[in-house]
Amino acid sequence: MIETFSALGGGFAVALQPNNLFLALLGCIIGTAIGVLPGIGPLNAIALLLPFCLALRLPPESALILLTAVYYGSGYGGRITAILLNMPGEPSAVLTTLDGHPLAKQGRGGAALAISGIGSFVGATISVVLMTFLSVPLARVAVAFSPADYVALIAFALSLLGAVGGGSAPKAWAAGCLGILLAMIGIDSGTGVERFTGGSMELLGGLDFAVLAIGLFAIGEILLLIETRIRAEAAKISGGQRLTFREVVFCIPAMLRATGIGFVIGVLPGAGASVASALSYTAEKRLNEKNGKFGQGDLRGVAAPETADNAAQIGNLVPMLSLGIPGSGTTAVLLGALLMYNITPGPLLFQQRPEVAWGLIASMYIGNCMLLLLNLPLVGVFARLLTVPAWVLYPGVLALSFAGVYAASNSAFDLLLAIGFGIMGWKFRKLDVPLVPIILGFVLGRMLEDNLRRAMSLSDGDVLALLGSPVSIVLWVMTVVAVAWPLLRRRAA
Amino acid sequence: MTSGRALGLFLIGLAALAIWSAQSLVVSFAADPLGPRAFPSTVALIMGACGAMLLIPRGAAFERPERMAAPPLLVAVMAAYALLLVPLGFLVATALLATGVALLFGARPLPALATGLITSAALWGLFDRVLDLPLPKGFLGV
Repeated sequence: MIETFSALGGGFAVALQPNNLFLALLGCIIGTAIGVLPGIGPLNAIALLLPFCLALRLPPESALILLTAVYYGSGYGGRITAILLNMPGEPSAVLTTLDGHPLAKQGRGGAALAISGIGSFVGATISVVLMTFLSVPLARVAVAFSPADYVALIAFALSLLGAVGGGSAPKAWAAGCLGILLAMIGIDSGTGVERFTGGSMELLGGLDFAVLAIGLFAIGEILLLIETRIRAEAAKISGGQRLTFREVVFCIPAMLRATGIGFVIGVLPGAGASVASALSYTAEKRLNEKNGKFGQGDLRGVAAPETADNAAQIGNLVPMLSLGIPGSGTTAVLLGALLMYNITPGPLLFQQRPEVAWGLIASMYIGNCMLLLLNLPLVGVFARLLTVPAWVLYPGVLALSFAGVYAASNSAFDLLLAIGFGIMGWKFRKLDVPLVPIILGFVLGRMLEDNLRRAMSLSDGDVLALLGSPVSIVLWVMTVVAVAWPLLRRRAA
Repeated sequence: MTSGRALGLFLIGLAALAIWSAQSLVVSFAADPLGPRAFPSTVALIMGACGAMLLIPRGAAFERPERMAAPPLLVAVMAAYALLLVPLGFLVATALLATGVALLFGARPLPALATGLITSAALWGLFDRVLDLPLPKGFLGV
């Protein structure tokens, strides 16, 4: 306990440095803005910013403070369009439209925005407190993991892709495998042979993570957007009665329940913020069947999913930091960012690089306060972003993507590579192939192979050593269930 | 041909290519019992199996999007940018790219040109002047 407080104090010393405070604020503003803008999610934005962090030689803790602020800031922005336009800015804000938009039509859009902002703050802040106390114990458990245990853990994380993706399980697994194979490109660290380079000099060092992420997500998204005409609508916040203190108190139990649901769902690998917000909305609706008017503009119907969304986002960071296993696409990009800095997240991060781990956690306390202060009065300014026409916005996004790729590598070859991945991302999206498993496979692929080969070296090639500990047996059983579940469901359907 | 089947064939082809490429690796010494071939081959095999599962027809045929021509044109504009960035320099190439993309998103010529010039100048000011990142200078020297 005392240790945790002193470590957190050290983190605040890092987070309160003026440049880190500025980066947290910048990240919060960018995060809210991209949460509002359709077609640009936190994953795209973080992928876009990552090469600039490297090119500007930001220290790793500063880069992580900026990128993570964009991540949790986006949870505040997605609700604005959901409430005002009935159009979720992020997938996890779908549930917010159900009660948020009716409230806006009744002239209480301002109140709905305020309660969702407060909910986001409550969910995120309580989750950061939980994260502060849970990360180190969790990391301590994982320190004892052998390479074989890690193989089982990564296999389990990857197998979940098919079970929770919602779409077709074979497509999600194939995408994960493709990500792993993309990570194999380059010189093999174990033997020094070239793999899958096709004789290309540029590929010897492996694929650049930023090139893959920007190509798949930013460029692919713009190719998808340009196929359909975008209809711009003007947004306005109706005046109406302001949110009262009594109404905030009325929503507190719902917010606390949603925080619990969101954080637990977030910590589990695979399930993301969308699942958490859907679950907490359904739970509130069931609990308050008698005295609720859910679907017609209940404030709790706005508070619960927004709270759960932000709590799950923070929860998602816990396995990423303490185990080195990302639970979602965006945390996979954050993990990729750390790897580009030659920092391996995981059990040893809290001991070896406390300024990175604790600086990040401390900055999240500060960032969430900034977001609350930014979002309550400035919500109208952010909503105005929606009036920017597509033909102004997307040329800028595309130019920024290319500038980022070029700044990171100084090579025109990487630009062509990014365009190639953009075409792949666009086609895959049209074929309902999820893109997040590609990113997860890419980030986890090398880790999986390294641990597998290390385990095989330790056991002199005995495959049964993979089942050598109780932890690994339990994880493999869970993996088999996670793989079999979608296949059985498919047969039943 | 349904879209799912085309995807399945693509994945099987890719898996076969990966396995063939992995088998051709020559390893002079083995530092570990597994070597560099086994893991990627297994992963490719799983990917191929997933592709085979997609061959069972389930999906609908390809849908025709609203604007067929726009994505290939956008790819052409982007590829031209990748090839011309170094010879033309960041300022000129980015202005051309942003103008082209604005036109493809349905802007009228003059606003598109304005978008292109402002985007390019703003990004150049931010990266070159403020953040001091290396950008290609091109024939104008900027």
